[in-house]
Amino acid sequence: MNHHIDDMDDTTPPFADSAHEREWLAQEEAMRRERLQLDPAADDARVRRYRRVARVLRAPLDAALPIDFAQQLAAQVAATPTPAADIRFERGLTLALGILMALAAAVVTVLYGQAWLSPLSTALPALQPLAGRWLVAFAICIGVSWLLGSWQRHARLAPPA
Amino acid sequence: MDDIHLHDRALVDAVLARRPGAFERLIREYQGLCWHIVYRMVRHPEDARDLCQDTFLRVHQCLHQYRHDSALKSWIGRVAYTIALRHLQHKRIPLLDHTGDDDDSPIEQVSDGFDLETACADEELARQLHLAIDALPPLQRTLLTLYYLEETPIAEMAQITGLPSGTIKSHLFRSRLRLRDVLETRTGAAA
Repeated sequence: MNHHIDDMDDTTPPFADSAHEREWLAQEEAMRRERLQLDPAADDARVRRYRRVARVLRAPLDAALPIDFAQQLAAQVAATPTPAADIRFERGLTLALGILMALAAAVVTVLYGQAWLSPLSTALPALQPLAGRWLVAFAICIGVSWLLGSWQRHARLAPPA
Repeated sequence: MDDIHLHDRALVDAVLARRPGAFERLIREYQGLCWHIVYRMVRHPEDARDLCQDTFLRVHQCLHQYRHDSALKSWIGRVAYTIALRHLQHKRIPLLDHTGDDDDSPIEQVSDGFDLETACADEELARQLHLAIDALPPLQRTLLTLYYLEETPIAEMAQITGLPSGTIKSHLFRSRLRLRDVLETRTGAAA
């Protein structure tokens, strides 16, 4: 409990209706006097009623968490794998799948590439031969940047020695 | 930086570094707040226990996102409030009872000559008031509990619930007025 006992809330604007504001102040005064356990003989009838309400509101609730709640839950959390380990596993799996797909694509290209490339080269004669070389250079650039990016991400995630 | 913020930072750092006992300490420190919010919202003890567990699991999962721009108490309270709110929405329980919000009670009419203590037995009065608190809408019950049991200031309750301070003040005012009315009706009937 980090709210000081003599703190009355004065940060919210007052009610537009003055009767409501007076009632609010009586409610706050009763709460403060009940917290401080001040002598009720000095209270007026309104404050006395609100002090009665305050006494009930300050009573402990009729049910509570089990005594070992914190201990049990902390043990349960400690027994589960860390999110970092999960992430590492997921990344490893993604990388392995990526490599597998790239290998499969390379094999398919070697086997059937000639059959696809010849109709393409006849359909796009303008690309030959200069544009074709630029396309190859562009693909190499993309591949190199992807590899560099992956290597940098891997270096960042690796645990310190 | 004040003591509370330093304490929060040290505790959060210890949990994130997975120091032994740190998370248990965090739970112990805030389980009362969590219980007060969740139990007052849902009222069902078993559901409330499960939701408190969900709250701390979520806190553990998301603690690296805590930026220290509010007190740790408010941040954890907000997680608990959000989880309890979702539970109520899932069960289609309204957070507020809009039918009872009009204040027709005569605020200024309080009889000075009426002696509460002799009109009705203390235990019976307390029981009636507990029933009246239980009958309040979930939001008002929770705000009253935060204000009286946790002694949470209105500004901090605004951070927990995401409601404007003026709205919280208005809810506190109306619910206390309603409880005062209940008190007077019951004691009046008893007298």
